[in-house]
Amino acid sequence: MLARLFAGREDTRLAALLFVVLLVLNIALNPARFAPHNWGSVLGLAAPLLLAALAVTVPFLAGRGSIDVSVGPLIGLVNVLIVKGLILGAGIQSPLLIVPAALILGLASGALNGFLTSVLRIQPIVATLGTYLIYSGLALTILPSPAGSVPDWLRALAGPWSVLPVGAAVLLWLAVRRLPYYDLLMATGSDDRAAYTAGVGVPRVRFTAYLLAGLFAGLAALSLTALIGSGDPNIGPGYTLIAIAAVALGGVSLAGGIGGLTAAFLGAADIFLLQSVLTAFNVSTFVLQMTYGIVLVLAVCLNSEKLKALIGRRRIAA
Amino acid sequence: MSRALSSVFSNRALIAVLGAVVIFAAGAVLIPGFASLFSVRAMLILGSLLAIAALGQTLVMILGGIDLSIPFVIGFANVVFASLYGDGLPAPATFAIVLGCAALIGAASGALSAALAIHPLIVTLGIGTAVQAGVQIWTRGLPMGSAPQAINDFVSLGGSTGPLPFPPLVPFTLLLALAILFVLRRTIYGRKLYALGASPKAAELALVRPVALWATTFALSAVFAALAGILLLGFTGSSSAGVGTPYLFQTVSAVVIGGTALIGGRGGYIGTVAGAMVLVELRTVLIGLGLPEASVQAALGVLILALVAAYGRDQHIRNLI
Amino acid sequence: MPTDVPGPNVLAPEVLTYDGIVLAPGRAPISGVLRAGEIAGLAGLEGHGQEQFLLTLAGLKRGGETVSVMTGSGPAVYRDHHAAARHGVVYLPRDRRTTGIFPALSVLDNFGLPSMRRFSLAGILNRRKQRRALAGYTDFLSIRYPAMDAPITALSGGNQQKVLLARLLALEPRVMLLNDPTRGVDLNTRLKFYAAFRELARDKGIALVILSSEIEEILQVCDRVQIFHDFERTAIIEKAEMTMSGVMAAMFGQREDAH
Repeated sequence: MLARLFAGREDTRLAALLFVVLLVLNIALNPARFAPHNWGSVLGLAAPLLLAALAVTVPFLAGRGSIDVSVGPLIGLVNVLIVKGLILGAGIQSPLLIVPAALILGLASGALNGFLTSVLRIQPIVATLGTYLIYSGLALTILPSPAGSVPDWLRALAGPWSVLPVGAAVLLWLAVRRLPYYDLLMATGSDDRAAYTAGVGVPRVRFTAYLLAGLFAGLAALSLTALIGSGDPNIGPGYTLIAIAAVALGGVSLAGGIGGLTAAFLGAADIFLLQSVLTAFNVSTFVLQMTYGIVLVLAVCLNSEKLKALIGRRRIAA
Repeated sequence: MSRALSSVFSNRALIAVLGAVVIFAAGAVLIPGFASLFSVRAMLILGSLLAIAALGQTLVMILGGIDLSIPFVIGFANVVFASLYGDGLPAPATFAIVLGCAALIGAASGALSAALAIHPLIVTLGIGTAVQAGVQIWTRGLPMGSAPQAINDFVSLGGSTGPLPFPPLVPFTLLLALAILFVLRRTIYGRKLYALGASPKAAELALVRPVALWATTFALSAVFAALAGILLLGFTGSSSAGVGTPYLFQTVSAVVIGGTALIGGRGGYIGTVAGAMVLVELRTVLIGLGLPEASVQAALGVLILALVAAYGRDQHIRNLI
Repeated sequence: MPTDVPGPNVLAPEVLTYDGIVLAPGRAPISGVLRAGEIAGLAGLEGHGQEQFLLTLAGLKRGGETVSVMTGSGPAVYRDHHAAARHGVVYLPRDRRTTGIFPALSVLDNFGLPSMRRFSLAGILNRRKQRRALAGYTDFLSIRYPAMDAPITALSGGNQQKVLLARLLALEPRVMLLNDPTRGVDLNTRLKFYAAFRELARDKGIALVILSSEIEEILQVCDRVQIFHDFERTAIIEKAEMTMSGVMAAMFGQREDAH
């Protein structure tokens, strides 16, 4: 257990280092933007990616190809449903209805993905790719082009109160970590056969992982809706790949059993800060995109256990 | 005869072939004009393009990997080919340069994934993103140029091959499928591919070199993605870096519907070709039923899930012990 | 520590020499030779270094040692198992299910995978030649299978193991390194294996190194046994002096200098 914890730390070390470097660079380049009174809006800008990264992390932890690529479109669909269905359609403005609605929609999607992967046993990437197509298609059908506006309290979730959705996710994750479920999840992710033999209900553990992913995606949808202040069917799907990139950067193992909130947040923060630095230099989106790609590949290479082993062996031989 | 048949198609591939036939019959009944020569020709061309793009995905998935760089390489080939050819480079040289670069890109992804034990999903995503951005920077986001006439004719909707009322692309894809069948069954490369996909540890002890095989396979994947990109240039008439985007999920879907399992070691290309036809037919049916593009996408998602749930399910964990 | 052990086949040519194999930091290095037609046993309590020793000979584990095999043009040092196999040094893994067979593939593929180059032209397999080769080994080892195209999983454990042995033989080896070859195999198959080992050593001059967890087996087939204790080779016992109690005592680290 201690070894696992240490390994987890080691995996995020690179992301943490990158975080510090990028943060310093950002503050140096743009002190006003990163001044304390602006922290709320900076976090609000980063929140959708942070939460999306957390959402894709949980299924990864469950191992054996568990993945949720539908997180992005789900965020988009929830955004569209809130704005078009609740705010524009039913005239609902109250947080007491909108917040639970977002979370329940997220949970429903998690239940659907969990059902497809754990009960029907469709390979996770295929199952969530199916729901990817369904959610993005539905979002476009419901709201073909960006429209609508959001109440002030929701807008504030991307500004002064941006800490609320992120904080809720952190508290939720800390609670999960205290549950016996967390150990079952990590055991399933490291070696599902051994876990199953030891009596762990592996399908149920994986189902729950998708539920959690849906819940975090629901929070991400709230943050995104707050940030863009309208309904937009085109923004959500883009979060899938960038969130996967973020968690890989953060050191979450796609093979399962390694990673968590710290890794997801650090990876996502790295990508956000990288974007911020490059924007400060006024580079084109293409350069931005290229940098993502290169940083991602470099980071996973440097994080590779095998590379460390190879270097270690050479050092001993020399 | 039936044994010979079942040896040509693994079971799931056979289901995919049947699926393609059944959906075609359903479409012919439901939608007027579905079975017309024009519509069949269009479906065969689109199916061929998808099948070529999904060839590499099939090989990579037999290996137990996944290649997310296919859409980016398609875009890369599409734009770079048009650009170089437009600048006056002769077509064969352009062809060689584009396919050669694609092979290098693919080999890098495969070698990195295998040598450093990194999930290929991440490596191909990263390298693909960088490549596409590189192309965009090179063309400043404004791709120019077009394909040589020969390529236009090769894929043209109005084309024919001798007495056949199809452009050469269609028989070419058929021949390609047969060639790949042969490669997978009767060559050292093919057998090593299945062995390494089925059991990496055992394969390494049985003298398979994983890094070399991964590099080769991902290089092949990129080469066929690039070929699809060049053919798409002939089909659409103008170049665009985003032309490959739909192929990310379509190649994965075609391969999975065709019965190749993502866990590696099983599957084949005949199934993928059938899977590509299934996808193209389904799209055509849905569009023919009058659904708007967005709903077509959602309905396609439901149908893919239904198909895979019907016959492409994984083993229960208790059967893996 | 003797570097060369005289034995019944002391005049046979050397096929493999190894020098400076260290199984754990600070332990005494191990050297020696292997002669054509020799059957050497490796024994020790589980996890006392005998497996690392075998893996090192196979080129699967690297340290500061040199392992070289005699070829027509003098000794050749190899650094990995590919090179080892090229020079005729082949390895049979211990865990048949996870590192031996390919469950989804046919008997023929399971047999032919590493030796495909011998049965091919320009990368294209000559299946007829491959089938003929398998048929030959099928007779030699009396392997039973429904058809060469049947999945390997249709075979009993013993027959699967025979296919794996045939896989090695198809590489035309001069040295066979066998990691517990009769593990989980029924008695009849076991006896068949012993007969095959003796025949391969006697008639083809193949040198065999057999790591076994069963002392009985070593007593039955080996010309001499090397005993490993605490990551060192602590004893070498010749066939004439091999007894159950002697081998056991050496495995537990007791020196039997009494005789």
